[in-house]
Amino acid sequence: MSQCCGKPPVEPKPTDPCKPPEPAVCGGSPAAAGAAECPLTYFRRMIPNCLAYAKAARQQGRPIVGIMCEYAPRELIMAAGGVPVCLCGGANETIPAAEEILPSTLCPLIKSTFGYHVLKSNPFLEMADLVVAETTCDGKKKMFELMAESRPTYTLELPQKENDADARAHWAAEIRKFKRELEIRFGRPITHEALRKAIAVMNRERRLRRELAALMKASPPPLTGRELLDFKSSISGIPEDYEQYEKALRMLREKRPCPSLASRVRVLLTGVPLVHGAERVLDIIEGHGGLVVCQENCTGLKPILEDVELNGGDPLDALAEKYYRIPCSVHTANERRMESLRNLAREYQAQCVLELIWQACLTYDIESHRVKRLAEQELGLPYLRIETDYSPSDSARIAVRVEALCETVRQR
Amino acid sequence: MVCAGIDAGSRAIKVALMDSKGGKMLGSGVADQGVEQEALARRLFEDVLARAGIARNRVSRIVATGYGRNNVGFADTTITEITCHAVGVRHLVPDAMTIIEIGGQDSKLIRLNSRGAVQDFAMNDRCAAGTGCFLEMVARRLGISLSDLGQLAARSTKAAAISSMCAVFAETEIVGLLASGTAPEDIVAGVMTAVASRVAAMAGRTILPPVVFTGGVALIPRMAEALASVLKHPVSLSPEPQLTGAVGAAILASRK
Repeated sequence: MSQCCGKPPVEPKPTDPCKPPEPAVCGGSPAAAGAAECPLTYFRRMIPNCLAYAKAARQQGRPIVGIMCEYAPRELIMAAGGVPVCLCGGANETIPAAEEILPSTLCPLIKSTFGYHVLKSNPFLEMADLVVAETTCDGKKKMFELMAESRPTYTLELPQKENDADARAHWAAEIRKFKRELEIRFGRPITHEALRKAIAVMNRERRLRRELAALMKASPPPLTGRELLDFKSSISGIPEDYEQYEKALRMLREKRPCPSLASRVRVLLTGVPLVHGAERVLDIIEGHGGLVVCQENCTGLKPILEDVELNGGDPLDALAEKYYRIPCSVHTANERRMESLRNLAREYQAQCVLELIWQACLTYDIESHRVKRLAEQELGLPYLRIETDYSPSDSARIAVRVEALCETVRQR
Repeated sequence: MVCAGIDAGSRAIKVALMDSKGGKMLGSGVADQGVEQEALARRLFEDVLARAGIARNRVSRIVATGYGRNNVGFADTTITEITCHAVGVRHLVPDAMTIIEIGGQDSKLIRLNSRGAVQDFAMNDRCAAGTGCFLEMVARRLGISLSDLGQLAARSTKAAAISSMCAVFAETEIVGLLASGTAPEDIVAGVMTAVASRVAAMAGRTILPPVVFTGGVALIPRMAEALASVLKHPVSLSPEPQLTGAVGAAILASRK
């Protein structure tokens, strides 16, 4: 079941700590004995869990608010009594329906999401009382215009200039406008107290996920990159998730690391996010000699490295500050991403940098040139760029590149 | 001790036997790739052994490479064609720093460091432009054999502009050029320039000489010249261009 220590020709011995009957995170831990359920097993049911949570919330009259970008301040949605749900599509199957309307030369994430919209097949989108239309890129911005023809959407304009007082002020104004929109639409004021509470909840979520990610700093770590990714939930603020995070942290800290993971090449994965259903490239990396020890992207550490710092100030301004600092490629010149990559490569002892680009993701694609330079010239690490979409047609060819990258690292 | 390298490519299977001490090639062979990949590889391997007069039990280790490497069940291990071509070319051309390899279904640009290890690499494999099967299509369209492409191109006085980067659209473009009376030699010369441009795009601006050209497409005359003129660098042909992957695999087999 676990990918940990997975060399297919070798039959696992019953006592092999790397081949427990349960997922790797549950094995070799005394705490696991007699425990009701392994946290990873729980998170493997993430979609049904989220669906049950969203349905129950809706019955209690709580609005469901769809988001597609880590810039959307979930705290405001929660303070408005709503449930923030990630709508990013990770399915190849919905893309043909999207391409009847959208250009085929658009990133698969946008097309997949829009395909769900056309087919009405994403239950979270169908439940959504509002979709936040973040202007993360031109593709999303224009796609949301079409979605807005049949669904309630609200445009949230992202800042573009880094370290710029006017851009920062405009972003703060956008957050205040979004707050008013939520208050009017859902008919209840967002109090500072509710906002502070929501900030505390989201800070806790970020801290828990950060601590789980930090376990990958160990060599070898107690889990694989894929297992870590599976700890991501589409809905934020589910209390049961937090209990499972804490349980996972306790178990993983006691667990003996898998010795076979020690021979894997430590990969810093950067670039576009691997949303639920689109984990293929990560699986290829970990199936061909690599171990993704760190994800510098929106499904990894990028949005959770920093918390909302309240310090008794205006919570809206604290929100604006936190989200303004996310190093997204929509930013120019996005120096903060380079700084983050420098730090993460060091902290996680990366042996190479692998950048994933969804086809037609212009901003990450162009920025990849700088990441390559940073990796090769400044960090002295081999760099590999993989450009693909959600179709599995090039899996074998991606595997060759990953294997060659691992061979290159080992030859050094 | 004898070591073997088997390069199971998309169009051809290549086998090289190397003396693991002196690094001397003891035997080699090339066969067309087909459906029964494992059986074809085994037959070629046994054939090469027989011709070299080497008993099977004298082969201490076998490394398989190429896109079909995982289908060579009798190999001891697999290593990617990127690493194998680097080792193979460096063995045959010890001062090589940049390798261009064009095979049936992809093209690669490999940069080496001063020790001959892979520094970085780029591959074009999402479309057929810039690969051997693109040239096969052109030869088929013009009704000539792949090996005659070079001779024909040599007669060109004005290479045709082939702008399509997609093999399917390029075929349409070629049909159009033929219809408008463009000479076949100018079309071939244009196609070779297009393939070379595709490779140059992978190289970016940093080409460290000496540049060595290898892979099955290197057997086609005039391709090296087309590459040199686009890259604005001298491009030398690797000895045994079709075999460098297998040679590298055999050398790597002897190292472990």
